[in-house]
Amino acid sequence: MFYGYTGTILRVNLTNGKISKEALDKKMAEDFVGGRGLASRLLCEEIDPQIEALSPENPLIFGTGPLTGTGAPATARYVVVCKAPLTGTIACSNSGGFFGPEIKFAGYDALIIEGESPEPVYLWIKDERVEIRPARVLWGKFPSETESSLQKLTHPSAKIACIGPGGEKLSLMSGIVNDNYRIAARSGVGALMGKKKLKAIAVRGTGGINLADTEEFWKASMDMHAKITGDPVSFGSFRAYGTTSLVNLINEMGAYPTRNFKSDTFEGAANTSGEAIAEEILERNRACFACPISCTRVTEVKKGPYKGRGEGPEYESTWALGALCGVSNLEAVAKANYLCGDYGIDTISTGATIACAMELFESGALTEKEIGFPLNFGDEAAMVRAVEMIGEREGFGDILADGSYRLAERYGHPELFMGAKKLEMSAYSPRVFQGMALQYATSNRGACHVRGNTVAAELYGVPRYMPPEVLEQKEEMVRRPFQNSTAFVDSSGICLFTKFAITHREICALLTPATGIDFNFDRSIVQGDRIWNLERMFNLRAGFTAADDKLPARVSEPSPDGPRAGSRAILQNHLQTYYQLRGWDTEGRPTPSKLEELGLEDWWNVCREHD
Amino acid sequence: MFVESMINITVKLSIDLRCYRPSLKINESMSIAVPDDTTLLELLTNILQIPAHAVAIPIVNGEKCKLEQSLKKDDQVAFWPPMGGG
Ligand code: SF4
Repeated sequence: MFYGYTGTILRVNLTNGKISKEALDKKMAEDFVGGRGLASRLLCEEIDPQIEALSPENPLIFGTGPLTGTGAPATARYVVVCKAPLTGTIACSNSGGFFGPEIKFAGYDALIIEGESPEPVYLWIKDERVEIRPARVLWGKFPSETESSLQKLTHPSAKIACIGPGGEKLSLMSGIVNDNYRIAARSGVGALMGKKKLKAIAVRGTGGINLADTEEFWKASMDMHAKITGDPVSFGSFRAYGTTSLVNLINEMGAYPTRNFKSDTFEGAANTSGEAIAEEILERNRACFACPISCTRVTEVKKGPYKGRGEGPEYESTWALGALCGVSNLEAVAKANYLCGDYGIDTISTGATIACAMELFESGALTEKEIGFPLNFGDEAAMVRAVEMIGEREGFGDILADGSYRLAERYGHPELFMGAKKLEMSAYSPRVFQGMALQYATSNRGACHVRGNTVAAELYGVPRYMPPEVLEQKEEMVRRPFQNSTAFVDSSGICLFTKFAITHREICALLTPATGIDFNFDRSIVQGDRIWNLERMFNLRAGFTAADDKLPARVSEPSPDGPRAGSRAILQNHLQTYYQLRGWDTEGRPTPSKLEELGLEDWWNVCREHD
Repeated sequence: MFVESMINITVKLSIDLRCYRPSLKINESMSIAVPDDTTLLELLTNILQIPAHAVAIPIVNGEKCKLEQSLKKDDQVAFWPPMGGG
């Protein structure tokens, strides 16, 4: 009998139409928690990491956490795990909304989708009944139309995850959109769904989730609710302005990367800030399943060339489509953000790729003839046009649709790719936040902020303040309270944005009565470490080495202007200290004793192969 | 006679703190003259009359500071409430 977990994994093979159900391995659940950890462990069982990412051998795994759908605060999350089409690393993209909980209500901890269908299909899951159905009529549709059509075809309350035209056309920046506007965005997971010709998954679940100790669970849940609603961040600036509350602050610190990371201060930040969104386009807040924070913004541009409606832009989106492209027109940024939602493409990679193209254009490496129009920094109309072309893979958009790493390489300027392991960096300058520099370089899915957002410590003081420029002890800070901790939180099913109000202790206080398994603080630290190391081993086996733990040369050069002029990312000596703290050798490989300590010794041979 | 010299600084208020100077535009700074040994805490409580507990992140010239810090000529001060996100 399982509690918290449903105990069942659904396996669907799109090549032969076979649908089967498997029991969850309890030991595996205890070791890898759920969500990101469990789905990554399942992936390692399914494939050799050396396979081609866009191939029928690469499964798409949708995972939920033991807390997903339980109704405790912010228990909304699901993850998508596979070998990443954009990067070739392990991918784990995460999203909220209502889709994840619905998978649990239908009776599944995870869905493993394997093979490839010859024709467009969608998956219809109504509790234990599962069908693969034709989706020709849905192909080409935006997520909003897909969702309303599917709710007519299946059940009015069905929850939908789907790809947009970006995923259908295998854009390596495409994600998977659920509940209309939420998106598991990064690493190109949408392209794999498109390759499988799987337009959507519709789920209707009518079951509940068994809890091991209901009374204790709801006590812990009430306690967490009180902490969140009593917290000045979660229930203050973050609720009032969402993630974009940070725009002016990060810019004030001279840490807001601008024009493809040429500088760290943007003169137009105020126009595209959270305050401007609230004054000009905000309609109301929206919450994910059971979330008291409701950080999501429903917005509308009512008239003019950039008319549109949707969710966001979030902090990273307003930055990538704004400052990074030198664009300070909020309506244009909002429109580009809506278009990314319609096409189902990642706003960060999309903005970063356009910014890279702008620099290539201004430096003469790319011509107007190739693009079809001039693409200068600050040209908002050209930026919006480029987003559309990426979504449609139209004209030059066909080249842009595969991200900035491939773009910069193709035009002979690999140094203009601003990321690590083929994934573009996000909106915190690594020249200023030394913790983020190390995090971007070592993150298992490439340069990403949500694998260990050290800005919490380097600015807000959570869990404790460490000034951004300080180097001492940053390796340990990146490793444990950020990377390992985030791996654990992402595996539980609870939203990472609760972290300002709560710690692992509160999450464990929910997990134990939910599952009947003893979760505690010390074990959670080991679980996070285990998940991180598993992901690292996947990447090593896929061919990555210590040489890939690096940042673009540009951010090691001094920041040219702004309040932090002269600051630069310093990585060199820190990597070795970081490897050592992780129990890795000088080549960044987990040592046999480290793997044994974490129960990952089956991976020894992978280490040896690289000797 | 001992005369305190005055220095000019600029101040920005963000997010909820904007309610203390509603006429300021988003991210607009106001210039004010203060005695040259004024601390950030004095600036907040005595001059701007904003309760110190409303401010979690004081930034001077791009760096997060303690409220005990004294102001210098041409300092660019920005106050933020408790913040998080990302
Ligand atoms: S904090 Fe925001 S993203 Fe997280 S569950 Fe709540 S509404 Fe969703």
